[in-house]
Amino acid sequence: MRTRTETVRLEGHAKQAIETGRNRLILAGCLMALAFTAIGGRVIELSVLRDHNEPDLATVAPGARLAVGRADIVDRNGMLVATSLRTPSLYADPHEVLDAEDAAFRLSTVLTQINPAETAAKLASDKRFIWLKRNLTPREQQAVNSLGIPGLHFQDEWKRIYPQGALTAHVVGFTDVDDQGIAGVERSFDDVLRGGREPLRLAIDLRIQHVVREEVARQVAQFEGIGGTGMMLDVDTGETVALVSLPDFDPNVPGQMDPDALFNRATLGVYEMGSTFKIFNTAMALDTGTATMRSGYDATHPIRIARFTINDDHAKARWLSVPEIFKYSSNIGSVKMALDVGTERQRAFMAKLGMLGETAIELPERGRPMVPSPWRPINTMTIAFGHGLAVSPLHLVSGVAAVVNGGIRHPATLLRADMPAPGTRIISEQTSHDMRRLMRLVVEEGTGRKAQTDGYVVGGKTGTAEKVSAHGGYRRKALMSSFVAAFPMQAPRYVVLVMVDEPKGQKESHGYATGGWVAAPAVSRIIARSAPLLGVAPADPESPEIRRDLMIELPAEGGKRLASF
Amino acid sequence: MRRSTILWFLIATCLGVALFLVKHEVQQREEQLASLHRDILASQEAIHVLEAEWSYLNRPDRLEALVRRHLNLVPLDTRRLGSVEMLPMRLTLSDIGDIPVDPVDALTPILAELPPLPVGRPVAFTREVRR
Repeated sequence: MRTRTETVRLEGHAKQAIETGRNRLILAGCLMALAFTAIGGRVIELSVLRDHNEPDLATVAPGARLAVGRADIVDRNGMLVATSLRTPSLYADPHEVLDAEDAAFRLSTVLTQINPAETAAKLASDKRFIWLKRNLTPREQQAVNSLGIPGLHFQDEWKRIYPQGALTAHVVGFTDVDDQGIAGVERSFDDVLRGGREPLRLAIDLRIQHVVREEVARQVAQFEGIGGTGMMLDVDTGETVALVSLPDFDPNVPGQMDPDALFNRATLGVYEMGSTFKIFNTAMALDTGTATMRSGYDATHPIRIARFTINDDHAKARWLSVPEIFKYSSNIGSVKMALDVGTERQRAFMAKLGMLGETAIELPERGRPMVPSPWRPINTMTIAFGHGLAVSPLHLVSGVAAVVNGGIRHPATLLRADMPAPGTRIISEQTSHDMRRLMRLVVEEGTGRKAQTDGYVVGGKTGTAEKVSAHGGYRRKALMSSFVAAFPMQAPRYVVLVMVDEPKGQKESHGYATGGWVAAPAVSRIIARSAPLLGVAPADPESPEIRRDLMIELPAEGGKRLASF
Repeated sequence: MRRSTILWFLIATCLGVALFLVKHEVQQREEQLASLHRDILASQEAIHVLEAEWSYLNRPDRLEALVRRHLNLVPLDTRRLGSVEMLPMRLTLSDIGDIPVDPVDALTPILAELPPLPVGRPVAFTREVRR
């Protein structure tokens, strides 16, 4: 395109106006250019230089993880013992229901628990929302859907399921219909379970729990007891590997539980333990130094104090050495040992063992020991053989664990411990070793011979206590028969307790219902079945190292010393 | 002047089309992601249910009853447990020449003392078993 150049000259006012317009245009252009430069600069900064606020990758929208109402509970090997499943619950809006009676009748043909008359009344009411049945099975939901009744709706809810049923009933506990823990671990860890996603790992081993439960149940049935308890504790960490209380219940069907079945005999019940307390009495006497393994006491005559007479069940009526007092479970000898130690030191020792307060177990069902107040000399005498101080079976087991493991007490726990909590020393290493030898003696040739197990070195102590009746005084026929054992005795790893409530003497046991007859065989079977599962290597009790380690010299009846193993 | 206008117009159109395609692709992928998330959640819930069922089917009393019914297993006998140290030294060829008895014969009395091993019985699939 060709343009003819022509110069136009303007003078005066016109020139002035054009100059002003030009200046303004330049100013506006500059401003625009500045703005574009700024935007361009920002674009370069974002795309080329990369602002650090921008992530490299797009973030994944949250919600890709399943939100469960309540965290799972697993055993020490990761097997589920409690979990939450989504189940539909049936509700109705009565305003939408056309024929209440017909709907109620048809519903009752599908859902067995529904009462037609009651439901018809509910459906005819003036509310906008009524629950008909919580937590239906998929099959029930399908059946209700195919009825095609208008006005019925489903809402998903989380329901707590216990796949192991009654096996862990007393440990895990259960929740109410609104998913709040009301017993057991479900209650004590309610906050953790409700907020958490990670499963709660218990110390319980389901396999061992099953073995213990089966063996305790067998003894309770055989001796017609009213209940029983069984426990296994790791002596080095205080972990409860098994904790059983019978009778138990199925936590999946709440609301139909017998109060007796809900009672946790293992941790909530407090009982006078009887002769198993002689473990603590003897350990106390040996540790304070008032008695040694070679000293002895005169057990010829019963002790009479006030209106009581303290007698021996397996009376020898002679001078007994300390190992013999333990072996024959002599009450007279034990009382004299305790009197030498003294009331104040006995009380302090029991406090150190944790016998005067609640246990540390993570359950709401914790029994408070019944401690004599004031602690008189007569109490010192009765506590020597396990009467006058009532503790829970868990107290006993964790006390024995501390006595045999080298003298360190670890608080009992239900949670799997990766790092064992530091314990407190209660008796010396030497006393603990002496106690292991004494407990081995009881199983080898004393009252606990029925606890012998092929291939394992077991040591323990029997206990048979008369229960206190509701009217005061003791009932001769109502016994608590128990056996507490540790294995393998050359280096203890586990403590086992079996206790049967009110066993009756049977023909096979020649009418006896004592700890040696009732509980010791169960302990033997528990150890035989569970030791391979726990990875405890079998050992020959007759091997020279073990014999030397656990040997005790006993004076023979004639006064001559004989080596006894 | 006109040529450059056409050029700019073309560039602008291309950019517009490209932007539309990218946006469409992103939308599609986001839908895909959401549906994957839904699938993951459904799978997780299914796994959760299956875990509960696995635990229910692995109840020790049920396993024990099943083993009693279908298998020929017995509880572990401690006499069958040992350690490597309990094994005798391995015989060399020259040692065997010196030993008058067959080493297998020497083991026989030891083996005879052990309780008999469970004898495998032929598995018969009856109707009851299948059920």
